[in-house]
Amino acid sequence: MSASRNRELLALVPVALLLTAGFAAVFAQNDNQLTNLSLSYGLYFLAICLATHIYIRIRLPNADPYLFPLMALLTAFGLVMLYRLDAEMGSELARDQANWFVLGLILFAVVIHFFRDYSVLERYRYTIALISLGLLMAPRLPVIGSQVNGAYLGISLGPISFQPAELAKIGIVIFLASYLREHRELLVVGARRFLGITFPPLKHLGPLLVVWGAAMFMLIFIRDLGSSLMFFAAFLALIYVATGRLSFVIIGMAMFLAGAWVIYHTVPHVTDRVDIWLDPYQDPSGAGYQILQSMFAMADGGLFGEGFAQAMVVIPGTDAPLLPAAQTDLIYTLITSELGLFGACAIIATYLLVAARGFKVALLANDGFSKLLATGLTTVFAFQAFVIIGGVTRVIPLTGVTLPLVSYGGSSILANFILLALLLLISDRARREAREGI
Amino acid sequence: MDYEPISVALKFGFLAVLYLFLLWIAASARKDLRRSKGENFAGDATIGAVSAGSYDAWLVVVRGGGLDAGTRFDVFGGVTLGRSAEADVSFTDRYASGLHARLYPRGDRYFLEDMNSTNGTLLDGGAVTSEAEVRDGSMIEIGDTAFRFELDRP
Repeated sequence: MSASRNRELLALVPVALLLTAGFAAVFAQNDNQLTNLSLSYGLYFLAICLATHIYIRIRLPNADPYLFPLMALLTAFGLVMLYRLDAEMGSELARDQANWFVLGLILFAVVIHFFRDYSVLERYRYTIALISLGLLMAPRLPVIGSQVNGAYLGISLGPISFQPAELAKIGIVIFLASYLREHRELLVVGARRFLGITFPPLKHLGPLLVVWGAAMFMLIFIRDLGSSLMFFAAFLALIYVATGRLSFVIIGMAMFLAGAWVIYHTVPHVTDRVDIWLDPYQDPSGAGYQILQSMFAMADGGLFGEGFAQAMVVIPGTDAPLLPAAQTDLIYTLITSELGLFGACAIIATYLLVAARGFKVALLANDGFSKLLATGLTTVFAFQAFVIIGGVTRVIPLTGVTLPLVSYGGSSILANFILLALLLLISDRARREAREGI
Repeated sequence: MDYEPISVALKFGFLAVLYLFLLWIAASARKDLRRSKGENFAGDATIGAVSAGSYDAWLVVVRGGGLDAGTRFDVFGGVTLGRSAEADVSFTDRYASGLHARLYPRGDRYFLEDMNSTNGTLLDGGAVTSEAEVRDGSMIEIGDTAFRFELDRP
């Protein structure tokens, strides 16, 4: 189906154009002169995307044509915003991020090369689950672990620091998908009705609850609230898709609310986060500073935004940040401030389209494992965007997950391109089989 | 700020291209959706759904399993095979797992899925990795037990 590949190629052109326009706008604002430098950035970006496109054309000719351009658009958005921060803060975030993008695409190609038959993942599900839990635990280890804002999110090995939760999310989804594929019928058949609610049989849910519980424990242990929310959403989505029982989802949500209540009252870090979320004015220059500044900056954006490189990130004349962590947590705020409500809606629409394409892949897939894997991967991706966008807009407590592909951060880029590779592999097989009429 | 107009133009240009791009993708995705409706893919939201328009099908015991050769099992709507008493087609075979495999219809075809059994399932002599279509006359072998699949398609 080379028609779909041609559509992919066509879709990459506006993405490169947007990157070029963004860079040019930032450049025009900062140096009061346009050079062909931004044009060359756009061309580099287009060249890298073209190389990837050709690889997909050869290896996965039937894969979904829109997923890659949409993900490239998100990366382009991130690069423009980081370049804009660099211009103000004299950092080199955009260059680093571009390097990670290239590395991410190399990893993407490697995954496609070695996991063409991704059903092998199913065979090693317990190994994958163990590695993922180990990764989640790693930031708490001495020497390599590191703590940021009370959360143990990263490990550092020499100059490289890494957020293992990003990779672990893929591993956990693979485990849940393969486990549920095998046990979903047993979960439905052995279900018991009690007080008008259908409960899943404990015997078959046991191992699942153990791994889920372990993941939750690790997340409380490393205090990564955002990821814990993400894992939980993926878990519920997969249970629902596997069994078709809404009651399981309701039971899961009840369990989550009960757990959240207990954790809120027992873990001081969580109590602080929730209290600041409910009333940021109790400490406007301390704990509430970030979320309050985020909301003021978004309000400044108005409908169409202040324009590229116009938002105030650093208090003039000082080094004190007006938008703390603008390159990671608050990048959505920065986009809203500079491109307004329309820019913000475009970002959210992009995530929605990725989710729609991802679920489409799941619908087309022929076997249970592929369906569940595609659903799970799409859910964690979309939910991660919800967790951080919800966090900066004060819909839910602000947590430190990255805005997928937009935020600065190597592990996030690498993990999300592995995720994309798996989605495209599933989609290629599904669409090929649909075409051949198997 | 000499280049202010350029900045403003670039900003609105950026937003315009962005929205056109997203609209284009949304529109193509909608077209895709409409097309796939007609093509009758396995488009169930949940993966366990059983389709109604299936033809009658049987599993006929060829040998082994502690069953009499020639015994016929009706598999209309799908069955599970295994050593466990919970399985729809329950048989004794020391190489069989509790729930070893299942047969289910999708559209007007039947598929065999190995439920991650310990010793695997053979379909016409080849190992079933995740799932495979079974046709009229296909041989299904689990350990020392063999079944023939019969499909009554008019």
